[in-house]
Amino acid sequence: MAEVRLNKVVKRYGKLETVHGIDLEIAHNEFVVLVGPSGCGKSTTLRMIAGLEEITGGTISIGSRVVNALPPRERNISMVFQSYALYPHMSVRDNLGFGLKIANMAAPEIEKRVNEAAEILGLGPYMDRLPANLSGGQRQRVAMGRAIVRNPDVFLFDEPLSNLDAKLRGQMRVEIKKLHQRVKTTVIYVTHDQVEAMTLADRIVIMRDGHIEQVGTPTEVFERPVNVFVAGFIGSPPMNQLDAVVRGQMAVLGDGTGVPLPAGLVLSEGQQVVLGFRPESFAPRGHSLHWEGATIAVSRPVVIAEPLGTETILFVELGGKDVQGKMLNPREVHPGEELEFTLDLSRLHVFDKASGRRL
Amino acid sequence: MSAMTIEKPWQRWAIRIGVFLAMLVLTVPGLWVMLTAFRPNIEVLARPAIWIPQNWTLDNFARLFGLSASQQGLPVAQYFINSLVISLTSTLVAIVIGMAGGYAFARFSFRGKGPMFLAFMLSRTVPGVALSLPLFMLWARLGIIDTSFGLILVYMAINIPFTIWLTDGFFRQIPIDLSEAAQIDGCTRWQAFWKIEFPLARSGLASAAIFAFLTSWNEYALASQLTRTTASKTMPVGLMDFTAQFTVDWTGMSAMAVLIIIPALVLTFIVQKHLIAGLTFGGVK
Amino acid sequence: MTTTTEPYSRPTTSEGITAFFRSQKAIPYLLLLPAILVILSVVLVPLLLSFWTSFTNYNLTKPDTLYNFIGLRNYQRLMGNAEFWWAFGRTFLFITIALNLEMLLGLGLALLVNKITWGQRTLRTIMMFPMMFSPILVGFQFKYIFNDSIGLVNNALFDLGLISQPIPWLVDGTLANFSIIFAEIWMSTSIFAILLLAGLMALPREPIEAAKVDGCNSWQVFRHITLPFLMPFVYIAMTIRSLDVARAYDMVRIMTNGGPAGRTELLWTLMTRTGYQNSQMGMANAMGYVSIILSIVFTFYFYRKLTAARTFMGGAQ
Ligand SMILES: Nc1ncnc2c1ncn2[C@@H]1O[C@H](COP(=O)(O)OP(=O)(O)O)[C@@H](O)[C@H]1O
Ligand SMILES: [Mg+2]
Repeated sequence: MAEVRLNKVVKRYGKLETVHGIDLEIAHNEFVVLVGPSGCGKSTTLRMIAGLEEITGGTISIGSRVVNALPPRERNISMVFQSYALYPHMSVRDNLGFGLKIANMAAPEIEKRVNEAAEILGLGPYMDRLPANLSGGQRQRVAMGRAIVRNPDVFLFDEPLSNLDAKLRGQMRVEIKKLHQRVKTTVIYVTHDQVEAMTLADRIVIMRDGHIEQVGTPTEVFERPVNVFVAGFIGSPPMNQLDAVVRGQMAVLGDGTGVPLPAGLVLSEGQQVVLGFRPESFAPRGHSLHWEGATIAVSRPVVIAEPLGTETILFVELGGKDVQGKMLNPREVHPGEELEFTLDLSRLHVFDKASGRRL
Repeated sequence: MSAMTIEKPWQRWAIRIGVFLAMLVLTVPGLWVMLTAFRPNIEVLARPAIWIPQNWTLDNFARLFGLSASQQGLPVAQYFINSLVISLTSTLVAIVIGMAGGYAFARFSFRGKGPMFLAFMLSRTVPGVALSLPLFMLWARLGIIDTSFGLILVYMAINIPFTIWLTDGFFRQIPIDLSEAAQIDGCTRWQAFWKIEFPLARSGLASAAIFAFLTSWNEYALASQLTRTTASKTMPVGLMDFTAQFTVDWTGMSAMAVLIIIPALVLTFIVQKHLIAGLTFGGVK
Repeated sequence: MTTTTEPYSRPTTSEGITAFFRSQKAIPYLLLLPAILVILSVVLVPLLLSFWTSFTNYNLTKPDTLYNFIGLRNYQRLMGNAEFWWAFGRTFLFITIALNLEMLLGLGLALLVNKITWGQRTLRTIMMFPMMFSPILVGFQFKYIFNDSIGLVNNALFDLGLISQPIPWLVDGTLANFSIIFAEIWMSTSIFAILLLAGLMALPREPIEAAKVDGCNSWQVFRHITLPFLMPFVYIAMTIRSLDVARAYDMVRIMTNGGPAGRTELLWTLMTRTGYQNSQMGMANAMGYVSIILSIVFTFYFYRKLTAARTFMGGAQ
């Protein structure tokens, strides 16, 4: 059993603290994605789990062992680096078998495991090539193969797809998911790309500035972001966020538009709030995704239209800011054209303006 | 690059002629000395000058090694062996020590790193002649003047800073990820170094070694003061002794010059690519 | 590395040191230890000794004089010694002229070779030829080539009918200085040429193309794009060269040894003569210190420029 437990983990470089006491429990065989803007401490956290960075404070345990003092080789983990870190002077075969050889495994057994991994990843034809003679996608596969041959308790990925072009990234994402279904192990995966996080994760850990903002399944973090940061980070295009003031049962936007607040939400009169709604919930009449629940309608001229094929993103002004709406089954829209938009009130997110927290 | 500016034909020819002349100036003096080594003395001294060699001879070399009838005063064979032993030993030690230092600079951040690097480089700045004065006094007290050991020690010290500079550059070119990946794959840091980083830095290290060898092989200022007899005199010192003799033996000296230049020629040729890469990388990046 | 915040008994000094050398933090220091020890014992300790000696009137033939402290008198006498000032001035001039000419010629050569489309590798190998020669060999070579009776230069001038009397290249003071500078430049121009060529080859194309699109002519492109980009390479070459300018000593030693009549005397030749021939080690070490400071000043100057240029480049990329 290889659950990973982080307990008040702190990282300091000299006086500079970059990870501020994070707690996290990762279950056996769970696929957890650490996501956040770059520089927020994801890699540092992952590298502390790997044993590549010293842990300044707190404890990390893998299975039942506290691993703080253990070097990487005694943690039974494997890691895929952003740069792949393939050994340039070794063939693909030797790259895959290197860890096993270091562990003094018998040659026939190495051979067997390497071939298995090669089979899973379709590396057969390239086994005797040097990494320099492989394409980006192939290198990526070798890096993954090198990680799986050793049967580790925990797989660590540090932005493994960020050096690939968009199309290949999509393919590899699927492959990683398949791989996880096939070789069940605990996976900790770091990325700054929220799409990768959403598609791969059992649970997402959203980080900012060395803190964990929210932990939850993709649906949870999408449907119920705990604060404006998570709300803005997850989802594409991002959630619209408008400042408003509470007046009775209404939130009044900067331009005087009143938006009815969800029932059961008790707010004080005059409270400053942030209203959040996703572009999906703000669509021209007849082109929206959801129909259940209450809506309000506003007419606005379109500022810019971005046709994407299956949908068109529309920019309009609301509450003194540009907001984005999403038009499904799109028709051609010209800038300046006035459309009637419906805002789905059942999917309204209300945050406290001062603390940014969800209300 | 050259495709970017379109030159007129006369410009192209001017460039070619310029390059040709420059190459001529760079090579002719050296080649002339080498040529002299294979010519008899009378031909070299002839008036008017004989430009095209009439007779080729190996006699000059034979004389150097005392193999010919007309005996030669200098024990060149012994000098050659001294030079070889001193250069090889000092190079080997300097590379091992310098590599450790270069690795420390390339891979660790530690207190006093910058000043320490500068201090190493400045230690290399001390002119050999200036250093020879106190070393002469000190080595005499320690009884290691006129020994190979004394000179080996000095050449180690001369070569370590530059080896550090070069290997620091070479190791920094190797992504740190590789060592980390190896450690995750089950290596200790020590194993990761030997199995991954060392093989990758090997060609760079080889050129650092050759550079160190050449520095020792060619050194004169210190050797001339710290050696006294055939026990430790090196080739450059021997060449200088030659000029101090009464009759100037140009062909004999040229032959000795060829003996000095050939190892340098071969080795420099081997490392030229890495050397340039090492020097520029170490400095720019 | 303490991860605990609980109070603990303060380690004694010896425990602290042992603990330090066992910890991760000690690794770089341990790796550097052998290098530091060697440099300390073979460079620093001798330098301290020569520093002390420069304040004594130590004479090699009278060992006791090593403890004869005479304060700054060696330095004072140097200040009043015309011979020293001549050597100092000549050395300074020599370094300045040599480095600048080598830089200019090296730049010119690199630009020319860079224009040649094929055979560049061969040309580069040929350019390395002088770098293989040790200074003592270069000295010998030019002693031979500039020899007035059988030297290549005079022979050629004779046979071309340009002269009827041999030119005393190494015997006349002015000509001897010229010959030495020539030899020095022959020896070291290649270093500049090769490093600058490497720089030219690493030159990114886009800024140049952008400048051309913006209407710069060849000279303006060179002045505003190529040259600034090359500067770090110039400084590397300058730093490397000023590290061992003093190897010119070997060359001069064999070519003229300071003669004729001291007309090519450099600080380095004067120093050895004073120390070994006249046995005035105290005085020689004082000169040694002057020469060390000279070398350090030159190297440090270019090293600083290099660091500045490097950060500048880092920002641009
Ligand atoms: N060796 C280091 N020394 C000082 N600061 C560092 C070091 N490594 C990373 N940092 C800082 O720690 C923070 C987190 O970095 P990292 O974990 O790499 O972020 P990311 O989430 O993009 O992976 C960054 O602000 C970075 O500047
Ligand atoms: Mg990162």
